[in-house]
Amino acid sequence: MTGRIAYRGWLAVLVAVMGLGFAAWLYQLANGLAVTGLSNVVSWGLYIIAFMYFVGLSAGGLIVVAGAQLAGAHQFRPLSRLAVLLSGASIVVAAAFILPDLGHPERAYRVLISGQFYSPLVWDFIIIATYLVIALVDLWLMTRPRESERALTVMALISLPVAVLVHSITAWIFGLLVARPFWNSPLLAPLFISSALVSGLALLLVVVLVLRKLRLLEIEDAVLGSLGKLMAVFIAIDGFFLFAEVLTAIASNVPDLRDQTMLLLNGSLAPFFWPEMLLGVVVPFLIFALPGLRRRNGLLAAASTLAVLGVLLKRINIMMASMSLPLIERAPGQSWGRLVAPGGRFWLRLGDYAPTWVEWSIAAGIVALGALLVTLGVRYLVRRPATVPEPATPRPGRPVVARPAP
Amino acid sequence: MAMTKTRRKFGMAVDLERCLGCWTCAVVCKEENDVPMGLWWNRVLTEGGDGLDKPDGTYPHLDLDYLPLACQHCEDAPCVKVCPAEATYKREDGGIVLVDYSKCIGCRYCMAACPYSVRVFNWAEPQRIPDFSYGMVEGRPRGVVEKCTFCVHRLDQGLEPSCVVSCPAQARIFGDLNDPDSPVSVAVRERGGTQMLADKGTHPQVYYLSKRRKRPL
Repeated sequence: MTGRIAYRGWLAVLVAVMGLGFAAWLYQLANGLAVTGLSNVVSWGLYIIAFMYFVGLSAGGLIVVAGAQLAGAHQFRPLSRLAVLLSGASIVVAAAFILPDLGHPERAYRVLISGQFYSPLVWDFIIIATYLVIALVDLWLMTRPRESERALTVMALISLPVAVLVHSITAWIFGLLVARPFWNSPLLAPLFISSALVSGLALLLVVVLVLRKLRLLEIEDAVLGSLGKLMAVFIAIDGFFLFAEVLTAIASNVPDLRDQTMLLLNGSLAPFFWPEMLLGVVVPFLIFALPGLRRRNGLLAAASTLAVLGVLLKRINIMMASMSLPLIERAPGQSWGRLVAPGGRFWLRLGDYAPTWVEWSIAAGIVALGALLVTLGVRYLVRRPATVPEPATPRPGRPVVARPAP
Repeated sequence: MAMTKTRRKFGMAVDLERCLGCWTCAVVCKEENDVPMGLWWNRVLTEGGDGLDKPDGTYPHLDLDYLPLACQHCEDAPCVKVCPAEATYKREDGGIVLVDYSKCIGCRYCMAACPYSVRVFNWAEPQRIPDFSYGMVEGRPRGVVEKCTFCVHRLDQGLEPSCVVSCPAQARIFGDLNDPDSPVSVAVRERGGTQMLADKGTHPQVYYLSKRRKRPL
C-alpha cells in the first residue's frame, strides 16, 4: 500500500514540476528570451548545455545493449529494456530542450520542410529522430511475447553506428565552428562519444541501483560488477581525451585557444573544472577500478552519481569556455541586448552568465518529463514478464532460443 | 562607374588612419536601420587599454586606435553555412550577407558561428526611444537575429551605406570589389588592405587600411 502511495506521490510531484516548467515556458513565450540570463555574448546557455548533456545520457543504454547483443554477452540481457528506455527518454528530453531555446519555436517545422543541409543542426535533427525511432522499435521488440534474436541483432547492427553518429553530430554542431577555438578541434567528436558513454552508463547504473533498492528490479551483483569495470574503462578513455585536448591547447600557446583553456585551469571556470576532474573523473575512476571498492553498493552508487554529475560539469565547461571569450574582445565590448536604465550594465566584454529562475524552471520541467517517461516505462514495459533467461553458455553465432520466465 | 559584365561584389575599406573613434557611424547606423535600444549593428571598439577611449601603455609612450566593427560580409560566411532554416543567406547581387527575418527560427547558431561577434538578437520586444520607428527600414520582430546589411535598401537605390556617407573623417570607402578601378579596390590594393581574422578563412569583404606611421599622441 505504501508503495502505491509513494508511486502516486512521485507521479504527482513530476506532473507538478512539469506544470511549473510549462508555466515558465509560457512566461518566456510572452516576454521573449529577455527573461533568460543570455546575452549577445553568451548567446547559448542552460538549454543548450542540457541538450548536449541529455544527448550524451542517451548513449549508455543503446550502445551497451547493442554491444552486448553483438558480443553475445547475455548477462546484460536483464538490463536491456531499462537501458533502451533510458536512452529513449534521454533523447526526448534532449530534443525538448531545443524548443525553449528558440526565439520562434513555432517556426521550427521550417527546418524539416526546407532545412539547409550544410547546417550540422539539420543533420542532428535527422539523426536524433532516427535514434528515437530505433529506441522505440527496440523497446517494442523486447516486449514482444517472444523475443526474436535475429531482429535484436539487426537492430544492434543499425543502432551502433547511429549512436556513434548522434554524439558525433552533436559534437560537430560545436566542433565545426571556426569562430570558437576551444570547440574547433577534431577531438571534440571522440570526446563527446567518450563522455556520452561515461554519463550514459553511469545513469543506467544509478537507475538500476535505485530500482533495486525499491525492489522493482532484480539484478545480480556480478552484472553490476561488469558494468562497473566497463565504467572504469570509459572514464579512463574520457579522461585521456580531455587531457590530450587541454595539453595541446596550453602547449601550443595559440592565444585564443590558450586563453579559453586557461579560463578552465585558473580562470572563472576553475570552480567547475577542478571539481569535474577530481569528483567526476579521479574519484569515480578509483572506485570503479578497484574491486574492493566497486563491490560495495553504496560506493558504486556514489561513483555512478559522481560520474553523471561530472559530465554535467564538463558540458557546462565546454559551453562556457567558448562562449565567455569572444575572439574580438575589445572595449567597450558587445551590447548586452536589452533596454538598460542609464548607468546600468550595458556593455559586456567577457561573457558572464547565470541562468534565471525561468530557465531553471523550464529545465526542471523538461527533466521531470523525462523522469515521468522512465517511471511509466519501468512500470509498463520494463517490469512486464521477462522472456529472457538465457542458456548459460550459448554457442556463438547460433540464435538463442528464448523461453518464458519460470 | 565602369561598366563591367562581372557580378558585383560590394565591399568596404575602413581607413584606420582616418578613424577618430567618434561613433558617428554607429549612431547613424542605429537611426538608419531602426535598431532598437540595447542592440548595435556597428560599434567602434578601442584598440588600446582596458576600457572605452583608454590608451595603451604608460605616459609618454601611449597608443590609442579605434576599430570600427560591423558585419564583415564574408565570402565564405560561417553564419550562412550553419543556419538551419535558410534564413541567413548570401545575396547573389553584391554578395551581401542578409537575414530573412520571416524565416529565422531564433536558434542563434549564427551568433555562435560568427568569429566577429557582430550579430545581435532581439531578446525582448524591440523598444525605441523616442517611442516610434525612426529608421528607413522596417524594424525586426522579437526573437530573430539581425545585423548590418550594408544598408541594402540604400544600395538598391544606388546610394552608399549610411555609415560611409556620414563619417566625418571619410574613413570608409565603399564600392564594387570586382571592379579593379573602383575606389575601394584601388584603396585596398594601394594601401595593402587586410581582412580581420584572415586565418579563419572567411574571406571578409570588409578590409582595414592600417596606419602608415605612428603619430605621437
